[in-house]
Amino acid sequence: MSREGKVNRRLQRQRLRKIPWTVFMTLVYASFYIPVMVMILFSFNDAKRNYSWMGFTTHWYPKLFSFGNHDLWEALVYSLIIAVLATVISVVIGVLGGIGLKKYEFHGKKFINMMLFIPIVVPEIVMAVSMLIIFMVIGVKLGLATIVIGHCTFCIPYAVIVIKGRITGDNETLQEASMDLGATKLQTFIKVTIPSIMPGIMSAAFLSFTLSIDDVIISNMLAGASQSTLPVLILSVNRTGITPDINALTTVMVIVMLFGMAIMNVLQRIHKKREAASLAESDERIRAARLAAEEYN
Amino acid sequence: MSVVTGRAKKGNRLPMLAQAGPVSLWMIVFVTLPMLFIIFISFMSRGTFGGVEYTPSMESYETMMEITYFHVITKSIGVAAETTIACLLVGYPFAYYIARKPADVASRLITLLMIPFWTNSLMRLNAWMLIFQTNGPVNNFLVNVNLIEKPITFIFTDGLVLLGLITNYLPFAVLPMYSSIEKLEKPVLEASADLGANPRQTLLKVTLPLTIPGIFSAIILTFIPALGTYVITDMLGGGKVLYIGNIIKNQFGTIRNWPLGAALSVLLLAITALMLFLYSRFAKVEDMEVV
Amino acid sequence: MKTKLLAVVLVLVMVFALTACGDSGSESGNAGSELNIFMWGDYISDETITDFENETGIDVNLSYMNDNADSVNKLTAGAGGEYDLIMTCDAYMESLINGGYLEELDLSKIPNAENINKAYWTEQNQKYCIPYLMNYIYVVYDTERCPIDITCYNDLIRPELKGQLGSIDGARNLFPIALIALGYDPNSTEESEIAEAYEWLKKYNDNVVAYGSTETNIVNGTISVMLTYDGNTAEAMASMGDNNTLTVAPFTEDPVQLGFDLYVIPKGATHMDNAYAFLNYITDPEVMAKNLVENPYSCPNDAAVAAASEEYRNGPAFDFDYKENVFFQEDVGDAIKTYDKYYQKLKVGIGE
Repeated sequence: MSREGKVNRRLQRQRLRKIPWTVFMTLVYASFYIPVMVMILFSFNDAKRNYSWMGFTTHWYPKLFSFGNHDLWEALVYSLIIAVLATVISVVIGVLGGIGLKKYEFHGKKFINMMLFIPIVVPEIVMAVSMLIIFMVIGVKLGLATIVIGHCTFCIPYAVIVIKGRITGDNETLQEASMDLGATKLQTFIKVTIPSIMPGIMSAAFLSFTLSIDDVIISNMLAGASQSTLPVLILSVNRTGITPDINALTTVMVIVMLFGMAIMNVLQRIHKKREAASLAESDERIRAARLAAEEYN
Repeated sequence: MSVVTGRAKKGNRLPMLAQAGPVSLWMIVFVTLPMLFIIFISFMSRGTFGGVEYTPSMESYETMMEITYFHVITKSIGVAAETTIACLLVGYPFAYYIARKPADVASRLITLLMIPFWTNSLMRLNAWMLIFQTNGPVNNFLVNVNLIEKPITFIFTDGLVLLGLITNYLPFAVLPMYSSIEKLEKPVLEASADLGANPRQTLLKVTLPLTIPGIFSAIILTFIPALGTYVITDMLGGGKVLYIGNIIKNQFGTIRNWPLGAALSVLLLAITALMLFLYSRFAKVEDMEVV
Repeated sequence: MKTKLLAVVLVLVMVFALTACGDSGSESGNAGSELNIFMWGDYISDETITDFENETGIDVNLSYMNDNADSVNKLTAGAGGEYDLIMTCDAYMESLINGGYLEELDLSKIPNAENINKAYWTEQNQKYCIPYLMNYIYVVYDTERCPIDITCYNDLIRPELKGQLGSIDGARNLFPIALIALGYDPNSTEESEIAEAYEWLKKYNDNVVAYGSTETNIVNGTISVMLTYDGNTAEAMASMGDNNTLTVAPFTEDPVQLGFDLYVIPKGATHMDNAYAFLNYITDPEVMAKNLVENPYSCPNDAAVAAASEEYRNGPAFDFDYKENVFFQEDVGDAIKTYDKYYQKLKVGIGE
């Protein structure tokens, strides 16, 4: 047999070996996306409530955008405001905390590290009730602030841990180089440290947003008088059956968020291109700085 | 070459305070204090009209000794263990596959796993019910191709509950395992291959043992939340079985026995602490991979 | 020096961000013209709220509960002052009154409350609540698919119904029907009777396919009998339209539970006058009659029912003749713990 035949057979075997993997991955993703697609499909259900499929209609969308049911929209906007606030606060504290907990040694650091795991693993109902009681004891009025605090409490640990994971020896070398070049700590922090952990910051933000937008239990317990979040509204409506306009709203929300993410992706790519251009330059500089530092030592 | 870690120099602790301060303060005020308070009220008595009466009592813990609770806890542990095992069996190969892709493809695949979470979990559970219900598409299909004569009741079975639990907790199992597989250094794997190990041997003898911390943190991140869940089991299981999460919810809800609810929460906290302790036996807790 | 400044600024920004959140949460809008209501979602028509806002200039904020106990939890945890009106059900009234969580109502400010049938508005509750809508908990079955006819609770534990029964959940909804089936007081506080009821419910539980979502399950064919609320039945019957085969079980002797969703004013409410204005508005027969179109539940407001549409009054979900043969859920005091114990036993399935 020719050599070519052997190579072909090996390629074929490799391809065959890939099939179970493809099937497996497809199945897993399918189990995540089939419910979403069914959810979207039922936004076209011609029935007052989604007990079962009654026929196709598009009238839920015009109804949704006539803003007659302003409760739904208000709940959505409220959920988004909370998610954005919780994400921003969690990421800021997470970036500082991730760096601080990695860099410095102090009394009680072990304890704080342990505490970070509590909100991640403890059942939400326990967190929710304990926070509600604390707020009542110290006399904080329930409202936007308490929900945001509640959401931050379970987002911050994730943010801290993601960012801690991104800090490696490389970042420190970079920081050192930057300071050797005469940058202040603040300049180093903003111009060197932050960009070097940017992927971590992005995934921390993504995770915080996702966790916040899906939360029911803490939102329900810590909500004040003025508003309910969308998940809380959905759970309340679920008593008699979900109406297709909620499916329509969820569909619109997912599409808008996907669109937002696509824009972010494009912006990132443009940014990366620019970065790549300046990276070659800065690489040179770092090398020079290192050399200088070694000489100095 | 010295690394910039180490103690902050005397007299200039502000950067340290500014960085580690907010997170420490937050954790103490919004996690430690509430948890301490939960422990405190678990030793108090039930108020006549709900709430808590501040007279010390061990009643809640005595109640917890009843045999019913033993059954509830074993059942809850059972379903949490099933979920965890299923998440590991599906999640490890999944994470392994993603980790061997180039970084940008991998991060896209991970994002793809999280996007469904932008829709409310209740809506997704509802969708599962619509798919599998008696006059739903699965049953209709099976009847139409003559595989079955009469629709089967898929909903409210253990299988569907497990499916719901897996799709809810899988990302939390995948993320830590993905990070730890991804961190494996290429040279180690190459060395294994060079020494004549086939891919399967490499996986069993090198990759798997080296990623045990990731696997263990996946266990913690699925097992304990699954232990406290009740929304999924109620909706997909038809509410015929009570788990510890239901009972805690009921104590803070219809039954209005907060101290008992608190005591059961303390039990969950204790299980959490035990798992973290076990973890600390073979890896540093503070280095635990979560995402 | 700059680092210090950065640190201080960051901490300050955080503190301000949080306090700013707090302020915007509590003081949004003119304090005199708002009304904060905590109630079930999808339980009052948008039109009713909008009309009220237009008529009075009061800005209504609705927030939603997920469990009847939510309102009690908020009140006992001390959050009552955040709301001006809270929805609760009759079973909790005694606790809430005795616990001092509610404001006494000045009925002279709610003249329309006259329209409410006094049979549904007991004297002890009159000073503290205004009934909104009410619901019967009764048995409904599908005449085509259900293997037997049902006329009493004991029919529900017949083995023919295995895998046919759907039910609402909750200790205080399930135990009363067992106690009645056994000939006891539905609000019994005797442990021996509750224990017997538990044995009865074990058989009931064997027949049950699922607790909750009864209307969905009967429409999609998973169950053929259900213990449920009349409002949910109305939804199920409406969604079956002309093909409706559901019927309310013709009970002969056993009473059915009648529960109320009530509005109460929590102690410390800040917009009392607005709350009164709303209560008077919602008890107006014409307003309530309009609200019943979208929310076809039983209503204790006789004048409103009289003014309501033909369709509502002849709704098949309300077509049963034992409307007077009812019992109410009462506060059982510490016996709630006994109920809880047996309810847990039931759901844990000891001895199987």
